[in-house]
Formats: sequence, C-alpha cells, structure tokens
Amino acid sequence: MSHLASLALCVFGFTALAVAMERHQEDLFGRPMVPATARSLRIAGWATLLLALAVAVRAQGWALGLVSYSGHTSLGAALVFGTLIVQAQRKSRR
Amino acid sequence: MSIDDSASPPAAAKAPLKPRGIRQTMSDLHIWAGLLVGWFLYAMFLTGTVSYFKDELSQWMRPELAHQAVVPDPAVVAQRIVTELATTAAGSPQWSIGLPDARNNTANAFWRKPGVQGRAFESATFDPASGHKVAARDTAGGDFFYRFHFQFHYMPVLWGRWLAGFCAMFMLVAIVSGVITHKKIFTDFFTFRWGKGQRSWLDAHNALSVFGLPFHFMITYTGLVTLMALYMPWGSDTAFKTPAERQQLTAELSAFVQPGKPSGQKAALAPVDAMVRQAQARWGRDNIARVTVVHPGDAAARVSVSRGDEGRASMSPQYLLFDGASGQLLQSKDSVGPAAETRGVLYALHLGRFGDLATRWLYFLVSLAGTAMVGTGLVMWTVKRRQKLPDPDKPYFGFWLVERLNIAAIPGLSIAMAGMLWSNRLLPVDLLKRGEWEVHAFFIVWALTLVHALLRPAKKAWLEQLWLATAVLALLPLLSAFTTQRPFWHSLAAGDGVFVGIELMLWALAALHAMLAIRTSRHAAKLRPARRGAPGRTAATASAGEAA
Repeated sequence: MSHLASLALCVFGFTALAVAMERHQEDLFGRPMVPATARSLRIAGWATLLLALAVAVRAQGWALGLVSYSGHTSLGAALVFGTLIVQAQRKSRR
Repeated sequence: MSIDDSASPPAAAKAPLKPRGIRQTMSDLHIWAGLLVGWFLYAMFLTGTVSYFKDELSQWMRPELAHQAVVPDPAVVAQRIVTELATTAAGSPQWSIGLPDARNNTANAFWRKPGVQGRAFESATFDPASGHKVAARDTAGGDFFYRFHFQFHYMPVLWGRWLAGFCAMFMLVAIVSGVITHKKIFTDFFTFRWGKGQRSWLDAHNALSVFGLPFHFMITYTGLVTLMALYMPWGSDTAFKTPAERQQLTAELSAFVQPGKPSGQKAALAPVDAMVRQAQARWGRDNIARVTVVHPGDAAARVSVSRGDEGRASMSPQYLLFDGASGQLLQSKDSVGPAAETRGVLYALHLGRFGDLATRWLYFLVSLAGTAMVGTGLVMWTVKRRQKLPDPDKPYFGFWLVERLNIAAIPGLSIAMAGMLWSNRLLPVDLLKRGEWEVHAFFIVWALTLVHALLRPAKKAWLEQLWLATAVLALLPLLSAFTTQRPFWHSLAAGDGVFVGIELMLWALAALHAMLAIRTSRHAAKLRPARRGAPGRTAATASAGEAA
C-alpha cells in the first residue's frame, strides 16, 4: 500500500514539475503560464517528491524505503513522460 | 578518437582555433565506450533483468513440479534433505542446502566431491515434499540467464567474469561521460520530439537514461563490487597473509563455513530440524536461507543455519553455528565489520533479493529501461551516421558491421532467449545432458539470427527478426499448453501466480516487439522521400543533434 501511495505522490510531483516548465505549457495550454504560478507549482512538485520519500521511509525504514523510493521516482517520471507524449500525439492528430 | 577525427576532417581542422569543449570530448568518449562493448552490455542487461524473476522462471521450466501454494516448514525440509544427502552424498566433507521459499518450490543442494582436493562440487535439485531428487526435466532453469549475465558461457568462468567486469567498467565510463554530455538534463527532462529521426532517438535515449539514472549507476557500480575480490585482490592479499587470517576474511563475507580438519571419530549428526527451529525463533519461520553441514558423521561436525534475505538490504552473513554432534549452539554471527557491511549492502542492492513483490517489479522495470537505454544507444550510432552516408545502399564496412551486430544483439537475443524456452518444452525428457542442450539451443538460435542479419538487407532483417520474436514469444504459452499438463486456463483457475505471471509477461513482451516492428516498418516508408527531397534539413537535424 505504501508503494502505491509513494508512487502516486511521485506522479503528482513530476506532473507539477512538468507543468511548471514553459515548453510543456505551450504544448498543453498553448500559452505560457504566469511566472508566479509556475514557481508555486515547482515548489509544490519538489515538496510532493519529498513527501513521497517520507511515506516510503516511514513504511519501510531507510534501507528498504530509499530503494523503493528510487523505483517510484523512476516509474513516476516515466509515467508523466509517457502521458505527455500521448497528449502531444493526440493534439497533433486533431 | 582517431576514428572520429578521420570521419569529420572539418572539425579536426578547426580544432587549433577553437579547442574542443569538455562536452564534445565527453560525447566522443560516451559514444565509443558505449559502442565498443555495447552488444555485451545489452546482453548482460537483458539477461540480468530477467534474472530478477529467475526463481519464477525456474519454476516455469520445471512444469512437472506442482505449484507451491504453501511454503513447507524449512525445519522439516532441512531434516529431510540432510537424511537424503547421507546416502546421496555419503563421504562428502561438506553439504550446503538452499531451502525452498515463497519464490522457490525446490531445495537445491551442492556438496564437495568426496576424496577430491580443491573446489570440486556436485549439485542436485530436491523435492521438498519427498526429500528425493526432483522428478522433473533436466534444465538449468532461470539460473542460466543469471550465470550468463556475469560470466557468459563456453569459456572458463574466470575469463567470463573478467570480460563482464571489463564491460561494466566501460558502462561506468559511459554513464559518467553521458551525464556530462547531457547539457540540458533538467530543461529537457520531459522532452520528447516525435518523428524527428535522430532527435527522437536522442530524446528517448535520454529519457530512458535519466529517469533510471540512480538505478543504472547503482547496478553498474555494485555489479563491479560483487566481483571486487577477483578484479582487485591486492588489498586483501596484502592485509591477510596467513590461512587463519584468510579464513577470518571469508567468514566476514559469506556464511559458507570452510571445512576444518575432521577428528576421525565417528559421531551421529544431531537433529538438524531442532537447529533450524532455533534460527526460526530468531528470524521468522520462512526467513531461513541455507543449511550448511561440514564433516557430517564426524565428531567435529559443524552445522550453520543462515538467515534469509527478506527485509534486510544486506548480503552480509548472519548465521547460527552448531556443534553437529551435540546440537549445541556454538556461535551466533549477527554482524560484520563496517567495511564488510558496506560490501554486503552494495551486494544486496545489486541482487534486490530483499524486496517484496512490488520492489522486485520496480527493479525489473527500471532494469528493462536500462536495457532499452543500451539498445537505443546502439541504434543511434547508426541513425546518426546513416544520414551522412554517400550511398546508403553501400555503407562502409564499420557501419555495415555495427548495423548487423545490432540486429543480432537486439531482436536476435529476444529470439534466442525465447528459443531456449521453446527447447525447454520441446526437447525429449530422456535426452542425454538435456539441460546442456537447452543452453546449446539458445546459442544455436542466436548464431542463426546473426547469419540472418548478415545476409538480409538491414531494414528487412530488423523487421523479420522483430516479427519472429513477436511470434515465438506469443506462441510460447500455447506451446506450453499443448506440451504440459499446465495450460494457461488451468493455472488461472488454480490461482498459480507464477505460471500466469510468466505467461502474461511473455505476451506483454510479444506486444512490445510487435510495436517495435510496426514502428520500424512505418519508419522505412517515411525515410526515403525525406532523404531524397531535403538534404539541407537532414544536415540541420544532424548538427542540432551534435549540439545537444
């Protein structure tokens, strides 16, 4: 269960970080975001990633928690990456 | 580096005016270090990846052994196997028994050959329920891929391990130089530009590398650590000179108790199940890894019971040592020195045996991404250079060779690995040295894919091999349904997670190969007009790729 929670937080965190980047704002919304919003998204993204670490370590201890957290970040980033690709494909087809 | 300079004389001519930056130098290092051993690395990565499920694969390769719904009590099994070894391995000075666990439905034992000096061992697989040798087909099981990934085959074990270490060292160089080369590691973190040829390959390669970077670095570094005593023996050679010191070193690294001298006095072995129960009380019922017996039947007999890997990220030995004749607990080894513990942790990180099922899947998936990282790197070498070929139908020898080796190394390996599983189901059960023939089948199929790759036009060879891989992977569960008593629907109904999991995985991998095949065929259709129509654009993308 802690795996799922930590992974979900990682996906959320990376989504916030991706949306805070200008290139992906162009792709997703067609225009850049207000800088202040982007900054708070960036902070929220990093904070969520840290929270995911806390969840993993709390449930499994430092030794095993760090190992699975590393997996959660890799998989989480890959899921966000994949979603962005699918999104861009859909948009170009439309 | 000389190859690169000769390939691009303008850059070499400009060099004195504007010195090449660190990124350009690192990029060259990355490209050539990666290419030189890339095919080995790809094979090491892929066979290593499947090794995270080697026990499950071994179960699938011995379909005669029933699905293990409940793990048998290790204490009972240990006693059973010890009784059996008293006749099977009579006179041997040392037995070591690996006990069944949640992932493993057999007990594996190896023992020193009686009357032979040095490291001569025999081994066998036992049925935990009866204690006798298993009545299953002879197969190396998933252990073959595991062994292959760090010592290869058809060569002395030590040569293979040196070769693997050499390749891993290059991998480490490629990782570090790759990170330095990758200028926009944060800006391009989520960037993927679809349908841009070389640019797309680079984006994919970067994503696969960056997302899994902690794992890729860890797995390469710890891979070297697992064999550090082989690669760099000088430190311990200098520090530990006497046999006693060396034995103490071994005791810090492994639970494998070295046999001392037998007393010559006969004494019956005390009940082993009682010893295992003491260990269970300490570590948990199912957390026992091995039972090792030294000089059974002698008054100086010793029995060590070692702790399982579950729940601790360390491979450092933890064991209870018993007097074999009296059954008295002599020593409890709970910890090792800090240096040995560092090694134990790094070793455990590589193997990932401590993890639960979710962690194991994370290891598998990120390791698969690592395989794809090496694969995309290899393919990119040709993508980048194909645009600059004066006549793409008649490439120079180096290009031709790399392109062909890529085909045999990437889809060819998939076909060969599936081929081994086919031979596991098809070879007659009573064939002499059947287990070895499965391994030969793997290499025969692999060699055939190489011949095919050398003879066919490159694009056709890619497509044909990708489709063949799709077919042999997708048909394996069907073949298994017709040749064993355990078709897919039975496993599903019986709740056999191992068989269902492996066969679903085979289909998922078949789908992956089909997707690659479809993309490859579409790519071929698009490439031709682009190459003819817009030479300026290809040059522009090529230079954009170099700038990144």
